[in-house]
Amino acid sequence: MKRVHLSSGKPIGIGIAVLCIAAATLLGMHVAHEDNAHPSSDSGVIDAEVVHIATTVGGRLVELPVHVNQHVHKGDLLYRLDPEPYELTVRQAEANLALARAEVENQKRLVAVKTANSVVAQDQTTRAQTNRDLAARTVERLSPLASHAYIPWQQYDQARVALHDAEVSLRQANQQSAAAQIAIGDLKSSLAAEAANQAALDHARYELRQTVVVAPTDGYVASLQVLSGEILAPSQVLFTLIADDAWFAIANIREVNLSVIRPGDCATVYSMIDRNASIRGHVESIGWGVLSADTAGIARALPIVPREMDWVHVAQRFPVRVKLDHADPALLRLGATATVEIRHGAACR
Amino acid sequence: MSRPSPLSATPFLLLAGCSTDTAPSFSLAGAYFPDWMLCAMFGVASAVGLRVIFVVTKIDSILRFRLFTYSALGVIVALSIWLIWFGP
Repeated sequence: MKRVHLSSGKPIGIGIAVLCIAAATLLGMHVAHEDNAHPSSDSGVIDAEVVHIATTVGGRLVELPVHVNQHVHKGDLLYRLDPEPYELTVRQAEANLALARAEVENQKRLVAVKTANSVVAQDQTTRAQTNRDLAARTVERLSPLASHAYIPWQQYDQARVALHDAEVSLRQANQQSAAAQIAIGDLKSSLAAEAANQAALDHARYELRQTVVVAPTDGYVASLQVLSGEILAPSQVLFTLIADDAWFAIANIREVNLSVIRPGDCATVYSMIDRNASIRGHVESIGWGVLSADTAGIARALPIVPREMDWVHVAQRFPVRVKLDHADPALLRLGATATVEIRHGAACR
Repeated sequence: MSRPSPLSATPFLLLAGCSTDTAPSFSLAGAYFPDWMLCAMFGVASAVGLRVIFVVTKIDSILRFRLFTYSALGVIVALSIWLIWFGP
């Protein structure tokens, strides 16, 4: 067997070995630095905003001109509920409002009558006052004559009774006048009833308008599985509309790489539907929070802290939201796998 | 980790034109594999290939610490491919 000498001979071989190892180490450090400075993720997803299409009223679905996976424009009719119950409610509310308005007219006439009665009562007061003054003057004139017995005492007594009568009549007239004044009243209650009925009519008309549902934005119809004839409860979601005016890629980036990412940074996104087509985008925002298993617990209870002794901790990842600038619509499907390269890649050169 | 000197990147800048315009992720039978996995396989293959070439050309006989030398050569090839094809 050939003996191997480690310490002697072939110094050029040792030199080559040292050179190769040093080059590999330097290259490894360079690649690690480059990789950290240019974060990327191959587990991103294509994302878009969605609207769960529902209406605040319920009823039978009578018209459904859209079908699943169809593209719709903002303002297009999506579906229509049977408007008849809501039309009947509107008619009922209209009738109630007419009733309330008639009641206002009625109340106006009643107030006019009571106002006239009050004027009459006021005049009665004036008459009673005049009569009482006359009776008082009569008693005043007869008093010296009666004391000298120029007139019968009976006549003087009658005059005093007449004065007392007149005073009672005046008091009654005053009270009647005050009562008539109070009885006039006003239109407040009937006007309030009119306003309440007007509001009820407006609400009924609003509900009638809600039986027609139009697209709130441009987008694609998704997960529509029913035909017209279906009965919908109020606020029941019929399908989901995927808005196509803005598309995003969500990339989960490790926290150690987040410090080099700034909103506005260029990003290259590949939808794996076609891995040869790069899509240019820019970082819109970085998620401010994720639910951590260590802090998850029942609200209002004590924190759950497992007993453990772990030395290696896996880095947390945060979702980085990349807004796509322009892309072929064929590449954009919500939930598609995406590869995201931040601050590098074909689209950022 | 210290930042490598700017000179260390110079040879690779010359190769920047070779960068691919495709996603750094490969589809194989419905699963996606990362780019570095391909680079690692190239590295292993090139280390074996270099060993064969060096034995045939008798260069192997002047080498010492062959396991470390061939491993380092494989690492250099793998990292270079990554830098040229997928590097920023």
